[in-house]
Amino acid sequence: MTRFLLAAGVAALAITAPAASAPHGGGHDQHKRAKTQGDKGGHSARAQQKGGHSGNQHAQRAQASGRGGGAQHTQRAQQHGGGKQVKQASRGHEQKSRQAQARPKHERTQHVRQAQARPQNGHAVRTADAHRGNNDVRIAVKDRKHDRRDVQRELVRRNEAFGRNNSPVLTLQDVRHGDRDVERVRVAERNLRWNRDWDRDWDNRDFRRVAAYGCPPGLARKPVACMPPGQARELLGRPLSVVRERVVFRELPNRLRYVYADTPDYYYRYGNGYMYRVNRESQLVSALMPLFGLGYTAGQPFPAAYSNYYLPAAYQPFYPTTPYSNYRYANGYVYQVDPYTGLISDVDPLLGYGYGYGQMMPMSYSVYNVPYQYRPLYYDTSDYYYRYAPGAIYQVDPTTSLITAVAALLSPGLTVGQPLPMGYSAYNVPYGYRTSYYDTPDSWYRYANGNIYRVDPTTQLVTALVAAALT
Amino acid sequence: MLKSLPLCLSAAAIALGACSQSGSNNTAPAQSSEAKDAAGDKTIGASLDQNGKFFQAAKAVGLDATLAGAGPYTVLVPSDQAFSAAEGDAIKDSANPQNRAEITRILTYHILPGVILADDIGTAIDNGKGKAVLATMGGETLTATKDGGKILLTSGDGAKATVTQADEKHSNGVVHHIDAVLVPPKPGDGAGSAQQGK
Repeated sequence: MTRFLLAAGVAALAITAPAASAPHGGGHDQHKRAKTQGDKGGHSARAQQKGGHSGNQHAQRAQASGRGGGAQHTQRAQQHGGGKQVKQASRGHEQKSRQAQARPKHERTQHVRQAQARPQNGHAVRTADAHRGNNDVRIAVKDRKHDRRDVQRELVRRNEAFGRNNSPVLTLQDVRHGDRDVERVRVAERNLRWNRDWDRDWDNRDFRRVAAYGCPPGLARKPVACMPPGQARELLGRPLSVVRERVVFRELPNRLRYVYADTPDYYYRYGNGYMYRVNRESQLVSALMPLFGLGYTAGQPFPAAYSNYYLPAAYQPFYPTTPYSNYRYANGYVYQVDPYTGLISDVDPLLGYGYGYGQMMPMSYSVYNVPYQYRPLYYDTSDYYYRYAPGAIYQVDPTTSLITAVAALLSPGLTVGQPLPMGYSAYNVPYGYRTSYYDTPDSWYRYANGNIYRVDPTTQLVTALVAAALT
Repeated sequence: MLKSLPLCLSAAAIALGACSQSGSNNTAPAQSSEAKDAAGDKTIGASLDQNGKFFQAAKAVGLDATLAGAGPYTVLVPSDQAFSAAEGDAIKDSANPQNRAEITRILTYHILPGVILADDIGTAIDNGKGKAVLATMGGETLTATKDGGKILLTSGDGAKATVTQADEKHSNGVVHHIDAVLVPPKPGDGAGSAQQGK
């Protein structure tokens, strides 16, 4: 049986060998003739080709096709005019060479890169060098000897690989000192792979939804529906052009423009729930601002999952619901939402969430708006204005509109009829009212924002406002 | 008519009584001057060590005016050693304007609405079966427990601080000294703070 199979194999080889060695692709003089030179020991490649520089291309393809092993076979390609006898040592190599020609461009580029990576692995450097003369193009191998044409050719090849995705483009000087730049090349190639992987992952996501909501869908149900902090931190120190490929930048909400105002040294970009501070000189992202609110900004739909995040009672008088605007509160920010479209109109930060001392008071706060119980204490003078914004009453310089102090802190507060919020289990009535309003089995008393409220201990409902503690 | 007159009068009396019980914004405050006098004339802002790290941090973010204002507040003041031992770039460089937001969040995590004395916290812990949740002016909450005879405060990220000196009374509130800086949870770490807004 074994003999039979062996005989059949020999017969098949005899039939197919002439066909394989016959010229292909009529009209071209670029047929590959390969001849092995077993006596040379397998560490040099030599290609001889008649008919111009196309032989060089063949040599490159042959190099690319020989990607399989560490120790490369010695090949010598000879092409003689006039139908010289050709010996093909390896039909498999011929097939691989043709396959390489049929491969997509980017794949071939990878092979070229692999071939160039060999020196890093300690293999002999194979550089095709085409010499023209006597109708022969000769591709010889030089080990670590780059003449100017070699260097330029390598430059073109590497830049073909590195030039994409805004990766650094090598210069002639870089390639000339290729041995010293091995590490740099390695890092650049790793970054290239990283970029490609990232792009592939990004493409796998629902980009339309990302564009609509500003956040990847997988994170949309989380409290902050945006890029995970670990991924965001990786963007620190990178050029804005690179960050722009990964982050959908959006317009900054009007109210936040006062908080993150551009300076001569820096400017800000917002995307995926983060504020990126960019150094004007270097164009590198120098700082990553904290996430704000839910990670959504003006122009994006307010997520339906958070529609029950109503405004705290203490803020409601200052953000009254109208036919044209609703307000929601989350993670230190007040969201103004268009009731018809469901889109966020504006985002208002609270004290400690990017707003406060040293910031400019928005023009929309030109009207005195301090809560009634605090008005006897904080009223406008020629020296200072006082304005209320969620969480605090601010002292404002009337000439510069800068916040010069936080006059008073206000908690979200209580309203009659609401359940006692978490955090008010401890008695907190001011000194002067403790003899009148103290906890009993029937009534509790709690202080919030200048008022004292009575609470039913059984139902935990706020049942009455019993005293204004500031007047 | 005569029969219905007493009925009407009694109904009116009940209504008046109910109004006075429920109170309103116009209710005359029943203040005790003795308790106020006991608290002294100095505000929290004036009584704190002006060179202390807590006050310096408060000054850097404009909260010194708050501590000198009407209040009333309960302020948890970490020691200078606690500030030195605390981690985080913002705490170590509180004077840097770029750290204002973070410092404000940290300091407002140490300011509670109203006057909460140590006994009040202890009572709330007892009523709460071993723990009491305290609201802060920053919108987050702290958890108070008892550790032996002392009150232990735990922040949202699990850091703990012990009340070392309690009930320092002032005209606009009370100060409790603690031995560690409490850091609020990062925005977006959970929906807790947002839930409070409901």
